Amino acid sequence: MTSVLVVAAFAAAYVLIATERIHRVAAALAGAAAMVLLGVVDARVAFFSEKTGVDWNVIFLLLGMMVIVSVLKQTGVFDYLAIWAAKRTRGRPFATMVMLVVITAVASALLDNVTTVLLIAPVTLLICDRLGLAPVPFLIAEALASNIGGTATLIGDPPNIIIASRAGLTFNDFATNLAPIVIILLVVFIGLCRVLFRSAFTYDPERVAALMALDEREVIKDRGLLLRSGIVLVAVMIGFVAHSALHIEPSMVALLGAGALVALSKLDPPEFLEEVEWPTLVFFMGLFVMVGALVEVGVIGRLGTLLTDAVGDHYLLAASALLWGSAALSGIVDNIPYVATMTPLVQTLVDAGNGVGHATALWWALALGADLGGNATAVGASANVVVIGIAARNGHPISFWQFTKYGSIVAVVTIAVSWLYLWLRYYALG
Amino acid sequence: MTARTLAQPFPIVTLDTDAMDAAQTMTRLRWPGLIVSGDDGRPYTILPGSEVLRFLIPTYVQDDPGLARALDERASDELFRKLVRSTVRDLLPQPPDYDDLPVVDADATSLEVAAVMARMRSPLVAVVDGDKVVGAITVNRLLAHLLPAAPAS
Repeated sequence: MTSVLVVAAFAAAYVLIATERIHRVAAALAGAAAMVLLGVVDARVAFFSEKTGVDWNVIFLLLGMMVIVSVLKQTGVFDYLAIWAAKRTRGRPFATMVMLVVITAVASALLDNVTTVLLIAPVTLLICDRLGLAPVPFLIAEALASNIGGTATLIGDPPNIIIASRAGLTFNDFATNLAPIVIILLVVFIGLCRVLFRSAFTYDPERVAALMALDEREVIKDRGLLLRSGIVLVAVMIGFVAHSALHIEPSMVALLGAGALVALSKLDPPEFLEEVEWPTLVFFMGLFVMVGALVEVGVIGRLGTLLTDAVGDHYLLAASALLWGSAALSGIVDNIPYVATMTPLVQTLVDAGNGVGHATALWWALALGADLGGNATAVGASANVVVIGIAARNGHPISFWQFTKYGSIVAVVTIAVSWLYLWLRYYALG
Repeated sequence: MTARTLAQPFPIVTLDTDAMDAAQTMTRLRWPGLIVSGDDGRPYTILPGSEVLRFLIPTYVQDDPGLARALDERASDELFRKLVRSTVRDLLPQPPDYDDLPVVDADATSLEVAAVMARMRSPLVAVVDGDKVVGAITVNRLLAHLLPAAPAS
């Protein structure tokens, strides 16, 4: 009976999160409260259980990276890079778009996607303004690039952070398994941009002077802070790469990096906490308690057994279904609760396969599907919603269908290429 | 002291007044804003100087003020040319809030005027007597009246 009530409470909270009838934080907390009231979760489970409680590694990794972003934002480095890159192209529209897409994708691999587009969108509008170009294609391309770039690393997208923590995967596991395909996807995406946005590339030589008159050096607000931030960021990246060898969790690397930046920057708390999204962190906590309750009552275990029996040795089929299914769902609903729910199920399948390549590829199928599927619709990823909001406030409204027209094509093509990669690397040649 | 006593004559601008003329009137008279009257002659809204800047400065620069440092004087001139061929209507936020006008009755006390200014964060209030506009009060004039006189040095 308790299991039925837990599933009902979980489903109700999930529907509320997916439909956004109430704020997703309120829905997740209500779901977590229901699990406590049903007697499935207590303080010991919620706060101290590594398997079924709040995953503090995820929470503190996110917190650390948000503080790092808060400090980096103060330097003006993104504005500098974007203006510098656009000037190198001498205002040629497609080359400018390629530069901005690459900057966005690389930044998204290292930072949160939403923060990246928040930082790159204003300077993109400035560049387009100077060149007399319609900014909408550039902004859409950046949102799509941020979701592609974020797929590359453990820290690039919240679903990856959840997968890494729950599956015990390292930064290097992500870098060696996902970064290669993301580089290929980025090249494919740039090719798609050339075709999809071809009407946006009108070159006006007379406007180039206006772009070249921009002085990118002036946007660096504090050169000393930029230098110190750069050194700490490099140290943090080295820490991520070496975290398994150093036996230090990624969350500790991020927190130490954030602490070092705060100490070196001498910023006040409101400044270095500016980019910390407290609602997102609380949302994650509620979500972990909700999913943990499903594990506690054995629902996930029973579902996992059913799935394991159904999959048998057909791991390619399972990976394909996971990739395309995750992509389809992530285009419609928030991929964070989806991945949080799926990780214990995928863990069961991977364990049943004794951790061999065929089975562990399921993690990459889940990550690729959930991350890239967000491109499919205007509401599929937070970065898309943020870009649409910025465009509207600047007098360039992007309709749901306008975004989805481009996003769905990019999602289908990138998922298809990803499937080919999974098949070749882990099943045909693996 | 009542609002009628504090009120000063003010230049009338309408929604169709040329935006450049309105901005130049504001700077010439050193008013922090202008009262915009509607077709019926009653105050329609207040146009504070900050709204003129909000119209001129692109939203993306307001979001990321550091970008302003990359722009040179020529770019600045281009931005300010936006006032040409614009009207006061273009400068006002859309849609206007008809229910929230900084307007006081002529018999309002100086503290009532201060309360309206503080609540609406407006540097200017219009003073009306029935349907007739009798003048305007700036924040400077109100503060000069409310503050205690400085002791003679």
